[in-house]
Amino acid sequence: MTDDSHDTAAVLNTTSVVGIGVCFVLAAAALFALPTLQRLGLGFNTAFWLISAVELATALGIIYFIFNLHEEPE
Amino acid sequence: MLIGTFYFIAKGWGVTDKEAREYYAITILVPGIASAAYLSMFFGVGLTEVEVVGRGTLDIYYARYADWLFTTPLLLLDLCLLAKVDRITTGTLIGVDALMIVTGLIGALSETMLARYTWWLFSTIAFVFVLYYLLTSLRSAAKRRSEEVQSTFNTLTALVAVLWTAYPVLWIIGTEGAGVVGLGVETLAFMVLDVTAKVGFGFVLLRSRAILSDTGAPEPSAGEASAAD
Repeated sequence: MTDDSHDTAAVLNTTSVVGIGVCFVLAAAALFALPTLQRLGLGFNTAFWLISAVELATALGIIYFIFNLHEEPE
Repeated sequence: MLIGTFYFIAKGWGVTDKEAREYYAITILVPGIASAAYLSMFFGVGLTEVEVVGRGTLDIYYARYADWLFTTPLLLLDLCLLAKVDRITTGTLIGVDALMIVTGLIGALSETMLARYTWWLFSTIAFVFVLYYLLTSLRSAAKRRSEEVQSTFNTLTALVAVLWTAYPVLWIIGTEGAGVVGLGVETLAFMVLDVTAKVGFGFVLLRSRAILSDTGAPEPSAGEASAAD
């Protein structure tokens, strides 16, 4: 981030916008995934830690995409 | 929580300021995921039972912890962006925060009270480090910014310090700890804390001009922005 006055005209980075959307959907879906994972044969602990890992990974993904939310000026 | 999400979406619709967009994106996602977590707990998906020696079967709302793993790093990111700290400080703060939630999680799933209290202690120590970072590194960085930013940062840090301190206290006196407080009161208290710490936080942040780029441009309201479109 800069104090450049051209910031207000910055162009959104489409990849980052899509990335944020995908991370959000994944994180929301993971909150409901435990019964499905258990039906697929995973034990509670494995399924639970998998979901926790998804939540943390998607949060980190969003942080990455937020840092790259705008196109860098050429 | 859902109302908060939609309010933030409506308020942020049409915002063109680069930095404000970042704050809106983060702040909308936080209550958004929390809403999904509450929905999963409401439908019984986000709930499990843990057999604890000497205490019998405890209901553990694991979705709450999963929610915190997602939302607390983003709330801290808002503060890091406000203070304009470097990425190493941001990464360290978020790393310690993740450690705080994960150790709390291990405690919640532990089957003896000794293990539960030990992990709670680890988690609380990590929380003290998070607070320390907020009140030292981030605060001194925020002091180099405008008065508006400093004021917003101080309000939000105070909010985080007070509300986040209540979580380990509620955990230790609640059903997952000593059992002094019943499940109904505990659930209600966590809900009030969650709404205040997420929607209240967002409300204070997004009302402030501190989220704008340092250009002096006024923040467009949703109405003004729509008209401009």
